[in-house]
Amino acid sequence: MPKTAETRMSAQALGELANNIRLDILDMVYKAQSGHIGGSFSAAEIVTTLYFAEMRNLDPQNPRLPHRDRFVLSKGHACPVWYACLSRLGFFDAEHLDSLRKINSILQGHPDMKSTPGIDITTGSLGHGCASATGMALEGKAAKDQRRVYTVLGDGEINEGVVWETAMAAAKYELDNLVFFIDKNNLQMDGTSDEIMPLLSIEDKFRSFGWHVLTIDGHDIEQILCALDLARLTKGKPTCIVANTTKGKGVSFMEDVRNWHGKAPSTEEYQAARAELVA
Amino acid sequence: MKKLVKSNKPTRLAFAERMVEYGEINQDFVVFEADIGYSTNSYLFDNQYPERYFQMGIAEFGMMASAAGMAANGRPVVVAGYGVFLTMRALESVRSFICYPNLNVKLMSSHGGTTAAIDGVTHQASEDMALMTSLPNMHVFAPCDSASSRALFDVTMETQGPVYCRLMRDSYYELYDESATFKCGGSNVLCEGDDLTIVSYGDILFQAIEAAEELRASGVSVEVVDAYSVKPLDWDTIGKSIAKTGRVIVAEGHQQRNGMAYEIACRMAKQGLSAKFDHLGLKDTFAESGAYPLLLDKYGLSAKHIIDVASEMLLEQELAV
Ligand SMILES: Cc1ncc(C[n+]2csc(CCOP(=O)(O)OP(=O)(O)O)c2C)c(N)n1
Ligand SMILES: [Mg+2]
Repeated sequence: MPKTAETRMSAQALGELANNIRLDILDMVYKAQSGHIGGSFSAAEIVTTLYFAEMRNLDPQNPRLPHRDRFVLSKGHACPVWYACLSRLGFFDAEHLDSLRKINSILQGHPDMKSTPGIDITTGSLGHGCASATGMALEGKAAKDQRRVYTVLGDGEINEGVVWETAMAAAKYELDNLVFFIDKNNLQMDGTSDEIMPLLSIEDKFRSFGWHVLTIDGHDIEQILCALDLARLTKGKPTCIVANTTKGKGVSFMEDVRNWHGKAPSTEEYQAARAELVA
Repeated sequence: MKKLVKSNKPTRLAFAERMVEYGEINQDFVVFEADIGYSTNSYLFDNQYPERYFQMGIAEFGMMASAAGMAANGRPVVVAGYGVFLTMRALESVRSFICYPNLNVKLMSSHGGTTAAIDGVTHQASEDMALMTSLPNMHVFAPCDSASSRALFDVTMETQGPVYCRLMRDSYYELYDESATFKCGGSNVLCEGDDLTIVSYGDILFQAIEAAEELRASGVSVEVVDAYSVKPLDWDTIGKSIAKTGRVIVAEGHQQRNGMAYEIACRMAKQGLSAKFDHLGLKDTFAESGAYPLLLDKYGLSAKHIIDVASEMLLEQELAV
């Protein structure tokens, strides 16, 4: 059963947790001297809320329970946020976080279903993850279980044609067990989404593809929870939640800066970022 | 052999810099990018020639088919990207709409082989050469340093038809100077020897050179061939070298299967050229995330592995005598 308001963590506690997850991400990428901070920070509240307040039948001791809810980080480069959540839930020991991107690590540079407990599908090549998530939702219908499938996509990622092929298929099969979050931070690798590929209205696009569409502030936990409740109540359609976010959210000098997409912080930058996050 | 000098310029940058200069020499060609311009360095061309630069978004498959349309009237197109996305995501566009009609589309492909290292398997192009060399009309080049990247940019543009040029993420060494020559179907013999031929290209060429130097120090006369023109292959030079030394090792940052070694073995068999043969590459396995030198160690691609294979080969022959 969905967690009720009483059994759920409070929005405030989830917010504090998301902030600690940002610290984990910062530590990981600093130690690896490689990785994607900007997109991990922009999705911190969304992924934290999903794992700690929304998803059901997750058992770290038994990560492949058939009827578990699924999470797919379609924008796989932001995997530090996923690894931080999984480690805090106990899917693996926190000491592994120090091995991000290193040889023999269970934490690969991009999410790998064969290496990391709790990761159900490999991603990293943009676009594919949301299509795989749709397959998982279809399998849920075939297996007649109650699973729900949650996906986070980047706003740059949705340039990929496969996203729209998938959007049609998910609507065709009335996948009301499928939720897409679009992490709309308006930045991708080479520039702003307006410069690289104008998206116009993401809401209009998905709506015209037959989806139930919501728009929220992706850093506001109450809004994330409310959108998830509405998604669960919606029958016969998949839900797309367009989450307005800030890339690099939480560290002033990283916010909205293109360069922080895939850059590792220097020692000074690391310390300054840490100071802002613990303040 | 020429002394190697540490490099701080990756081939992806040297290639892009020459592309900007070449923009003046050939004023017709255009560049297509899929949102990794700061990584392929194609952004340098955008800075100089914004009207000849097309940012197609994160959409490699569509970009490639659009490049075919742009090239259908004879206008050359350079398409920038990572090896995996250009050769795998966009494979059918490359095959049916660029290679089949033999269009002037040039794939400027970074992160070749395992050089994407820490990014992991989804970003490592370890089957790109097998795919690209299989396509009729496709030419495949693999520079190893700045001078060869610059020279091979010109060769890429002067070669009629599609070209796949495999570049690397990181910088290793500078081997060539501006006087070295490169041509479609060419190779360079870096040092001559009588006991063993080592054929390589791209990043692994430096492992071959390191191995050759150690082997030469212990008295083995090694010949090293830089087979930078992977297709067409300079069989004339490579075949003669193997006939002379009677032993060959092919070392590549690629799957062993369907790489350059397969072509060399096939040509040897066809010609009845008998020689000791071995090859290094990924052994029907995917690699993983990790620092580049550690990946070479773990997956059998380092100079040490070449030396081990060579030693075994030389020993076997001695025992047989
Ligand atoms: C198919 C594919 N093409 C290119 C890349 C390289 N790449 C990694 S992240 C990125 C930009 C992503 O932007 P967005 O989806 O907006 O993510 P975010 O801003 O949340 O980091 C690109 C082009 C990739 N990983 N996969
Ligand atoms: Mg974005």
